Amino acid sequence: MPNTTASSSSMNRSVTLSRVVLYAILLIAVVFYLMPLVVMLLTSFKSMADIRGGNLVSIPQEFIIAAWDKAWSSACTGVECAGVAPFFWNSFQITVPAVLISTFLGALNGYVLTKWKFRGSDIFFGLMLFGCFIPFQVVILPMAQTLGWLGLANTTTGLVFVHIVYGMSFTTLFFRNFYVSVPTELVSAAKIDGAGFFTIFRRIILPISGPIFVVCIIWQFTQVWNDFLFGVVFSGGDTQPITVALNNLVNTSHGVKEYNVDMAAAMIAALPTLLVYVLAGKYFVRGLTAGSVKG
Amino acid sequence: MAALEIQNVKKTFGTVDVLKGIDLSISDGEFLILVGPSGCGKSTLMNTIAGLEDVTSGDISIGGNHVTGLAPKDRDIAMVFQSYALYPSMTVRGNISFALEIRKVPKAEREKEVERVADLLQIGHLLDRKPSQLSGGQRQRVAMGRALARHPKIYLFDEPLSNLDAKLRVEMRTEIKKLHQRLGTTIVYVTHDQIEAMTLADRIAVMKDGEVQQFGTPQQIYDDPANMFVAGFMGSPAMNFLRCEVEHTEQGYAVGVRTGGGDLHHLPLVHADSSLQSWIGKEVILGLRPEQITHVIPHKTDESHVARFSAKVEVAEPTGPDTLILIDLNGQEVDCRVNPTEEKPVGSLMEFMVDMSKAVLFNPETEARLL
Repeated sequence: MPNTTASSSSMNRSVTLSRVVLYAILLIAVVFYLMPLVVMLLTSFKSMADIRGGNLVSIPQEFIIAAWDKAWSSACTGVECAGVAPFFWNSFQITVPAVLISTFLGALNGYVLTKWKFRGSDIFFGLMLFGCFIPFQVVILPMAQTLGWLGLANTTTGLVFVHIVYGMSFTTLFFRNFYVSVPTELVSAAKIDGAGFFTIFRRIILPISGPIFVVCIIWQFTQVWNDFLFGVVFSGGDTQPITVALNNLVNTSHGVKEYNVDMAAAMIAALPTLLVYVLAGKYFVRGLTAGSVKG
Repeated sequence: MAALEIQNVKKTFGTVDVLKGIDLSISDGEFLILVGPSGCGKSTLMNTIAGLEDVTSGDISIGGNHVTGLAPKDRDIAMVFQSYALYPSMTVRGNISFALEIRKVPKAEREKEVERVADLLQIGHLLDRKPSQLSGGQRQRVAMGRALARHPKIYLFDEPLSNLDAKLRVEMRTEIKKLHQRLGTTIVYVTHDQIEAMTLADRIAVMKDGEVQQFGTPQQIYDDPANMFVAGFMGSPAMNFLRCEVEHTEQGYAVGVRTGGGDLHHLPLVHADSSLQSWIGKEVILGLRPEQITHVIPHKTDESHVARFSAKVEVAEPTGPDTLILIDLNGQEVDCRVNPTEEKPVGSLMEFMVDMSKAVLFNPETEARLL
């Protein structure tokens, strides 16, 4: 018996050791990923004197929100010195319609491509997927041309249009893959019950699409809000999104470089997507993995 | 007036002929069952009746109206699906009244109809639940309720019981039969289960490879199968097919079978006529159902259509009411159905009696019925 005890206790010891190693590695990973955020947050609450005096990760001697205030309402982004606030609202005006419209169109596309298949619909879907793999840079010139023809150059509407077109491949992919696992018999039953194309979509399909809507909205919100290239190319001076304004603010070079204001502005630019993810993130993972609708 | 008339319906997917010219007709209030192995086209045929799939050619009429080109909603039908297809986001009440709502039936009338159907199927206590909160059997009832909430010309049932466990399936089968007797509705019912077909149907259409092999009442199909496929598909345990030779004896036509021991016995073909003349000395396939080969029942042995022989019991499978005994005839395995009290132990000789009055003969080449 003593032998058994000894071996089991040595096993316990090795289990504990591997746990310690595991947690150590995890901790290092956590620190590695969180460090930039921590540095940004700490710096944004410091005064300039504090920044010069301490190091990157030192705790502010005094928490001040002056940098946030300045970044929001009075920092210079080029010639204008009204902070990032106007551009923050620009971004909302671009993102909200772009996300809603592209998500809705994706849902409709997915519905058609799975439940109302037509000759060549699979090929159509295959071609549509190409859109997911076309780099932003490739579409810039043709898109500029198109926007010019449509009379939408340098407008918010134009930028919304670009994001809808570019986002639709992704949203269609999401919804199509979700609806593939929804039994087609549901649609057949509704057809026999007398419902038409849109009634079935609205009454039967949309009410069970919650999870994939969350996935799609988070994805599209993050994509559109964080976009810089389309924003910088297709927007006019006062329709710029916040990402472009942030770039201008950081690169405006007169006087002293105000790291705390830069950091605060960057935090302001990042907050909405962070917030969306924190609020709906668990549905994101659930929606990506949830396939079938058990009825 | 025919409740449903299908005339020369063909359906082609690319180069594959799924339906090769189907003709069926049933009258009002009849229970038609489409039965066959998977891939025989029975579900496709049902979908063309429902309008969920177009026919390539041919004509379908429901209650005297040509519906061939019409959308499902204009055909006045209701359907119960294999997966039930209950709308997951709606309550049972919502599911049952959905079709009425789409057809703009006033709310008060809808409520009344839901109550009627709920009473009929005893699902009143489930009305406010979602489908995900129901058991399999309850879902099945709701699916039927949804079909019953309207008064369509015909009801289509697509393998409605195949997702239930064995016990529940038998219960629901009886319930569907009762419902049909009570309501007198016209029903088209697809199944691959021949017992379901036998027990429920007024008329059965046995299908294979996109063709109707036989269309008739359950008893006709069972006693008088059109060909070897129908004979083998219907009935459980299946009909015995025995290769044997036609002979002409003093008593008339007969077939010769040898038991495992080598003794030759002549089984009389009581319904044979001169058309069998050309088959003398040739091999045919004798079809005998297990219940036609039994233990010896004394008062029956004198009849002219009965033959007797002894054979060794190879395997015995008790089912409770009967025991199935496997013997060897002409080097082939043959199932016999005997009373358990008469059963002899495995390996010993047992005396059997064959009732040839319902024996059938098939052409071994074409598998068509000879006699």
